[in-house]
Amino acid sequence: MTAAIATLIVGVVLGYLAQRSRMCFIGGIRDFILVRDTALLKGLIAFGLTAWVAFPLAGLFSGLPRYTFDASDVATVALTIAGGFGVGYVSTLANGCPLRQHVLAAQGARSSVTYLAGFAAGAVVFDVWIAPLVLALVP
Amino acid sequence: MEIANTSTILTPVPGEHARGVRVTAVQTGIVAGILAVMAGTFFEVRPPEAYGVCMACHGRDLVNWTVNELAGTRLTVAPASLVFPALTSIGALIGALFASRTSREFRWVTPDNPLKTFVYGALVMNFALIAGGCSIRLLLRSAAGEVVGFMGFGGMVAGVVLGTWWLRWRATR
Repeated sequence: MTAAIATLIVGVVLGYLAQRSRMCFIGGIRDFILVRDTALLKGLIAFGLTAWVAFPLAGLFSGLPRYTFDASDVATVALTIAGGFGVGYVSTLANGCPLRQHVLAAQGARSSVTYLAGFAAGAVVFDVWIAPLVLALVP
Repeated sequence: MEIANTSTILTPVPGEHARGVRVTAVQTGIVAGILAVMAGTFFEVRPPEAYGVCMACHGRDLVNWTVNELAGTRLTVAPASLVFPALTSIGALIGALFASRTSREFRWVTPDNPLKTFVYGALVMNFALIAGGCSIRLLLRSAAGEVVGFMGFGGMVAGVVLGTWWLRWRATR
């Protein structure tokens, strides 16, 4: 329940700020390539640097063990890179990252509302068809 | 021309922020970074690690948790969302709706073919779940020091670069 309330609050703050700043985690790179506009790209870099500094600091105060990640095999690495590529490519065609699509939907863009419908449907499609398919193809 | 449409949707236009609070992308990035780390470290949005903010995974948790409750299925839900799902998507919609209402930027428009964006949404969700995170969480995992997450982020940057080249090529053809 703590997690649900925390994510709700984080979501509200993030949604508000993202609407005011037009923040987009895909658009920053895209704008830089197209018109050398760095406004959104700086936001992307600021997010990464802040989190990079905050993770060890938060670790000091929480007393939790340092983040450990499972050892990865070749298949996981390949799937992560391929999935990341797909996220970047399709999000560029769709005019924005998932966060930006939430914001656009909430300010009245109908095509972003259907994007979110596809987003939700995609979650179930992944579980029912894609995940078993990937597991069957990858050893 | 697609490029022209895109820039009016996504990049700031001078004078457009005449109403409402002005926030820069850098400020948003810093606040989002702090919130993402705080949520993951202090507010039980874990495991998995570096799970504080992710539009795709949290959306998946919300959808699958709801379907599981309603239909009695056993779709995948992250451990952090087992008891009650992450509500990031709902929160983002509420926050952005509040922001667009107070700044009078809310208006119904149809900037793109809705059927096409439905397919894009489903594709992005599937790619994100294969990669283990949307664009935000891939960067968050990189910041937490996960090498695989960083590779995924690199793949995402490559995807954006190619996608942008494709858009430009199609617009100038």
